[in-house]
Amino acid sequence: MIRLDKVSKRYPNGHYGLVDVSLTIRRGEFLFLVGPSGAGKSSLVRLLYREETASQGEVFVDQFKLSSLRRSQVARLRRQLGVVFQDVKLLPERTVYQNVAFAMEVVGASSRDIHKRVPQVLELVGLSRSRDNYPHQLSGGEQQRVGIARALVNNPIYVIADEPTGNLDPETARDIVKLFVEINRRGATVIMATHAKDIVNQMQRRVVAIEHGRVARDEVRGAYGYES
Amino acid sequence: MNTAALRETRCGVHMAMNLNGVGYIVRETVRNLIRNSWMSLASVSTVAISMFVLSFFLVLTTNLNHVTAVLQSQVEMKVFINRQAPRSQELALLRQARHWPDVRRIDFFTKQQAAASLKQEFPDQRNLVALISKSNPLFDGYDVYTYRSQAIPQLAERFKKKSIVHTVVYEGQVVSRLDKLSNILRWVGWIVEGLLGLATLFIIVNTIRLAVFARRREVQVMKLVGATDWFIRWPFVLEGMVLGILGALVADAVVDGGYRWLTGVAAVTLPFWPLASLHSVMSEVLIFTLIGGVLVGILASLVALRRFLRV
Repeated sequence: MIRLDKVSKRYPNGHYGLVDVSLTIRRGEFLFLVGPSGAGKSSLVRLLYREETASQGEVFVDQFKLSSLRRSQVARLRRQLGVVFQDVKLLPERTVYQNVAFAMEVVGASSRDIHKRVPQVLELVGLSRSRDNYPHQLSGGEQQRVGIARALVNNPIYVIADEPTGNLDPETARDIVKLFVEINRRGATVIMATHAKDIVNQMQRRVVAIEHGRVARDEVRGAYGYES
Repeated sequence: MNTAALRETRCGVHMAMNLNGVGYIVRETVRNLIRNSWMSLASVSTVAISMFVLSFFLVLTTNLNHVTAVLQSQVEMKVFINRQAPRSQELALLRQARHWPDVRRIDFFTKQQAAASLKQEFPDQRNLVALISKSNPLFDGYDVYTYRSQAIPQLAERFKKKSIVHTVVYEGQVVSRLDKLSNILRWVGWIVEGLLGLATLFIIVNTIRLAVFARRREVQVMKLVGATDWFIRWPFVLEGMVLGILGALVADAVVDGGYRWLTGVAAVTLPFWPLASLHSVMSEVLIFTLIGGVLVGILASLVALRRFLRV
């Protein structure tokens, strides 16, 4: 379970990313984070994988209390999470397969497990045939799929995606979201920050809207709710 | 991809951790060294120069210690005994002093023996010989040998306290000056080495920082997918160690060659000068340079990485 308890995030320049946000996300949920650009979605996501820490309040991810984590525990926390970044963060000089395997390698998986697991995940995201391509040989949607495969490869309990469809055409974006639904169906909790209005409306999932750093809406079967 | 299979994989991840890590770390280290070969070469050279200077001071102090030791073994202290003292007391003190901690050897001589050895040493001095033959002005006494020159003054005091002792004579000044000199040299050596060590550190820090910078994206991804700091550090730490060890070995080779040459030359031109053996010099040089190289390498990589690990 993820729980934010009266969390505020104030940046060194005095700007507030989040103000007094309280939120509970249960295991197995599928949740859209929506809101205008700069409203605080990314701040919230970055707090979850502890790229940043809250200025006030507390963030809990399962047994982890994020304000008081030692560095070694940060690594353990992140192994519970699969994060998909808007800018994907693929390593350009590694192939699709190597990019995904890298995530297993650096947490110390055996090569036997890697050989077994990586093809499974590539199959799931539909990239089995591109496994030996380099990122620059892929389309934006395919690159995003590699990012998703990398996020999934270590079996995270929570999959957190920060605008994974941001740079994609609607068609591709829909496919990516379908992929997240499939991931959710297989048991992972999915938290997805997005601008994709049509998709959110169509999916009828829990929607948390963030405006000016505050939770403006939290609906079980919500809609995007903004004119875009 | 059923859940049971996934869970099994997760367990495997933790159990296999260490062994799989080693292969990765070694691969990455070699890769970094090759990718930055010019900077690596520069680092190795700097370490080598720094370690060569360290070795220079080591060779110097080792030799001074050696000379001091040689001189010490020749140093003797003479203890003279009052003329009135009976033989039994002389022998009693001899037996007693034999067990004092700093006494390596103690030999008793009578004034007749002293006179005899004088005559032997100065056969041409007729007047002297005549004088000591008529009425022997010399004393009974002991020749005392010690383990360490620093103990001589104390030992002398101990003898002087005995009522039967007349005077104690020793030549400890040369030795104590040599001791002082080698102490000063040791300090100068550490200071010079400290400064050079800092310079070396900076250069290795830069080499490793280049390696880290070239791989900053990977480091970032590693942090974000949950690699531990030490897992990320190891390849760079190992790289630092390799640079340090290579540099130290280069310096050691130069010192070894140089010292062989020096002892060869000295054997011809200064045969009486007691040079320390190649073995004793090199064993000290090897230990200190390798430890120094490794330390500087590790420290440099830790410093270089600090900034990049804050993700």
